[in-house]
Amino acid sequence: MTVVETPRPTPAPPDVRGRLRLPDRGYRGILAVAAALVAALAAWFLVSIIIQAKPAFSTLGFSWILQKTWDPTHGKYGLLPFILGTLEVTAIAVVLAVPIGLGTALALAYLVPARTRAALSTTVELLAAVPSVVYGLWGLVVLAPVFRDTVEPFLTSVLGWTGLFNGPDQGVGLLLAGVILFVMILPTMVAISRDVLAVVPNEQLEGAMALGATRWQVLRKVVVPGARTGLLGAFTLATGRALGETVAVALVIGNSPYIAHSIKSPAATIPSLIVNNFGEATGTELAVLFGAGLVLLVIGIAVNSVARWLVWSTAGPSAGATAR
Amino acid sequence: MTVLVDLPADPTVERRRAVQAAAASSLRRRKLASTAALGVCWVFLAVAVVPLVAVVAYVVAKGLPAWNADFFTNSTVPEGIPGGGVWNAIVGTMVITGIAIVVTVPLGLLVGLFLAESEGRVAAALRFTADVMTGIPSITVGIFGYIAIVRNYGYSGFAGAFAIGFIMLPVIVRAGESAFRGVPTSLNEAALALGARKATIARRVVVPTALPGVITGVLLAVARGLGETAPLLLTIGGNQYLQWNPTKQMAALPTTIYNSSSQPYADQVQLAWGAALLLVVVVLVLSIGSRLLAARLRKERR
Amino acid sequence: MTSIDQTRSTRARRAAPLAALGLAAAALLSACSSSSSTPTTTTTPPGGTLSASNAAFLAADLKAPAGTLNASGSTFVQPFFTSAFYAYTGKNQGLQVNYQGVGSGAGITAFESGTVAFAASDVPMAASDLAKVPASSGPVIQVPDILGGVAVAYNVPGVSARLKLDGPTLAGIFDGTITTWNASQITALNPGVTLPSHAIVPEVRADSSGTTYIFTDYLKSANPTAWTLGTSKTIAWPASAVQTPKNSGVAASIQSTPYSIGYIELSYAIKNKFAYAAVKNAAGAYVVPSLNTVAADADQKTGVSSTDFSIVNQPGATSYPISGYSWAILLQKQTSDTTGAQVVKVLDWTTHTGGGQDLAAGLDYVALPPAVQNQVRTQLLTVTGTTGQTLLSK
Repeated sequence: MTVVETPRPTPAPPDVRGRLRLPDRGYRGILAVAAALVAALAAWFLVSIIIQAKPAFSTLGFSWILQKTWDPTHGKYGLLPFILGTLEVTAIAVVLAVPIGLGTALALAYLVPARTRAALSTTVELLAAVPSVVYGLWGLVVLAPVFRDTVEPFLTSVLGWTGLFNGPDQGVGLLLAGVILFVMILPTMVAISRDVLAVVPNEQLEGAMALGATRWQVLRKVVVPGARTGLLGAFTLATGRALGETVAVALVIGNSPYIAHSIKSPAATIPSLIVNNFGEATGTELAVLFGAGLVLLVIGIAVNSVARWLVWSTAGPSAGATAR
Repeated sequence: MTVLVDLPADPTVERRRAVQAAAASSLRRRKLASTAALGVCWVFLAVAVVPLVAVVAYVVAKGLPAWNADFFTNSTVPEGIPGGGVWNAIVGTMVITGIAIVVTVPLGLLVGLFLAESEGRVAAALRFTADVMTGIPSITVGIFGYIAIVRNYGYSGFAGAFAIGFIMLPVIVRAGESAFRGVPTSLNEAALALGARKATIARRVVVPTALPGVITGVLLAVARGLGETAPLLLTIGGNQYLQWNPTKQMAALPTTIYNSSSQPYADQVQLAWGAALLLVVVVLVLSIGSRLLAARLRKERR
Repeated sequence: MTSIDQTRSTRARRAAPLAALGLAAAALLSACSSSSSTPTTTTTPPGGTLSASNAAFLAADLKAPAGTLNASGSTFVQPFFTSAFYAYTGKNQGLQVNYQGVGSGAGITAFESGTVAFAASDVPMAASDLAKVPASSGPVIQVPDILGGVAVAYNVPGVSARLKLDGPTLAGIFDGTITTWNASQITALNPGVTLPSHAIVPEVRADSSGTTYIFTDYLKSANPTAWTLGTSKTIAWPASAVQTPKNSGVAASIQSTPYSIGYIELSYAIKNKFAYAAVKNAAGAYVVPSLNTVAADADQKTGVSSTDFSIVNQPGATSYPISGYSWAILLQKQTSDTTGAQVVKVLDWTTHTGGGQDLAAGLDYVALPPAVQNQVRTQLLTVTGTTGQTLLSK
């Protein structure tokens, strides 16, 4: 007697592709929607500012952006002193923050004993915890007299020949604002740099050491270049913060609406101009303030583009590869 | 008897000796350079720590005297009335920053993932946009918040959250992207080889590996959001009284600091410094907590 | 380096005794037969007398409906307003007033867009501002709410005497024509004081400010032709001037910058024990700013209105010439009876003796002269609700 067995249907093989049953297209779709939202937000921002700034351009044309005299009561809206002030104070902050930030990040990632690494990293990052208004007040009350009485005379005697240190020692001014900004952007620079520098693959480090490189050579020729894209990200974030900082700078820069003739001069930046005048501005002056914000946006874009070009031109097309 | 024989000069040996001498001497030079450069790094580390110590010491010295029971439980009172506090500002900051975090962190990380996985022109344009957004001055963000929300709906906690979120978003996007890009390609490829979907890879490989960097980035953004003053000045309207409802005018710690520190009355100024100290302590706690979290995550993965 | 002004100890509550004097004078007047043809020989206080119905109005003010009011504007009045409203809520616990000192201009803007029930500004809304209020909202009422002075504070090492300065000298210092402390104009006014040859550092406001307006109003009034920088909340100061936002910024800057001189609110100068100058007034006397001398200046011109609001450089031997009112701004036709009643009652209570004005002296502000208080009430009585009814009553 033969028993005919109907074959039992074989169970479907278990789906090993993970419990998240999101097809690739759905996943990419969600990401794309998020990206579109952010793009829309940026567009909304740009359009709003342009609409508010438009009356300035239709009434005054475009020449006011590069004029030197700021005197709203007499209808003069020259923006040049503020553009220069913004660039100068950011330059000071970045020139200080890049080497010191990079050095600190290298120290934290590779030189500091492992046990103290976390504590020291937190200490540096704590700089980011201090509110900007506190930096401004501390700068005004504590640092400005020190600058006026000690730092500036010293720098003038040592570096006066460069012609950058003319004029009286007032404490408040470009130099103080630049230094305060440097302190404020340092934690950004250090934190992101340190994270990026720390994840350079061990094989590369070991390979370099096997070839007889000293520690510094390893850092300089392997680690830093390998982290270049991430370091650009750190630099960009830090510069962005410096360009846009408002309250701290307004308190220590001296708010002088004239072009600075030395590093020690009081000056003004576009953000300080806006914060000092927005509450009370109406009509053309208000539109001019929005226009100033637009100009700052353009400056930010320019700085970003230059930074990118620098990285690409020095590193070559493989810049992004080693960061993975 | 030892006979010293002058061997004829062997060019190979000579060359080998020359190379060894060059390597030896360059080693000294290179070691010197290394010690010097590393020394500079240490100096820079010290330079980075000094202002921190100075500022925090100052904030503690001026702010600690303000801390008492009333400070944490009462709302602000006018000059001359004892027992004032910043509870209304604490509540406002919690609500406003909380809303901003809840909206921006997921959104920002999703966009960070998008950018980390994309190479095309669209992605480049978006990356560029995020970079530029980080450079927008906080006051301009405040103005935007004013035009977008306050003009239509009045001063409110939501308007403040909108402005703070706008500031935090590009920081999270960029820092997130940096962190996600730091995940080794080998891990990605291994997961793909195992047949995982992209969503799974993201959830189980990329995000956990990048988590320490992500946490740092989110923390930086939150620290920035907690301390920003200018955007809040134009959007939340301020409130001397306790207010939990984000559709109404609210107080916040940074604006309280800004306003109270410019009063001519010593007790108001002390209140401001007390609030500043509170902000610093909160971010410190967040920082340490997230570091511990990140360290534990790294250990687990090993 | 800084000297404490002696008049601080003589800071009297001028409102209460003046009100008593006013009531006594009124009683005296009614007892005598009125002779309207002859000029008054009774002792009418220079600031006027308070109306007899004041107490009744104040009592009714405390019965405003419950709720919350939002208001914003001048930082100058913020300490006074917050204290007065706090005291008001202490007596009428259902009504809270949330006042934010965001700056006069920002307050006006908020008022124009309807986000606040009333605004406060150190300078009344000009015609151009009034034009921005929608016509459908109706007319705008502006009333003085408190009085204040602007002190000229300085920080000159080695000089402990109080400096005397006059209009032309101050104009020269702040427009950059007088550059050193031992300039002849300054030494001529201060014989016996050894002034250094160091450069003067003028300290001014970077942000738009009512204090700047009052100060430059005085400079213009004292130097009609020599002062060319104008009268405004924002001035194009010379490059030698150090600009800092907010009164506190200027004050901190003066304190930490030797050889500096700047203008700050009197209450700030008193509270922080600055050295400030005696300024020459229209009568030729050098007057130290104090609550009494500011009041004396205001008493000389009690007929102020939103279009004629300057009280700088008034006659009178004890008048301090750099003084000014701060103003509250509200709509005459209120669109909500509840909010309208709350606004007029709170403002009425705050601007009268027996109510908020009693708190002024303790905060180094100067109470409104009684005549001005009466005018304020007259204006507030014109505020109407949804059916045209008067909202203020006794």
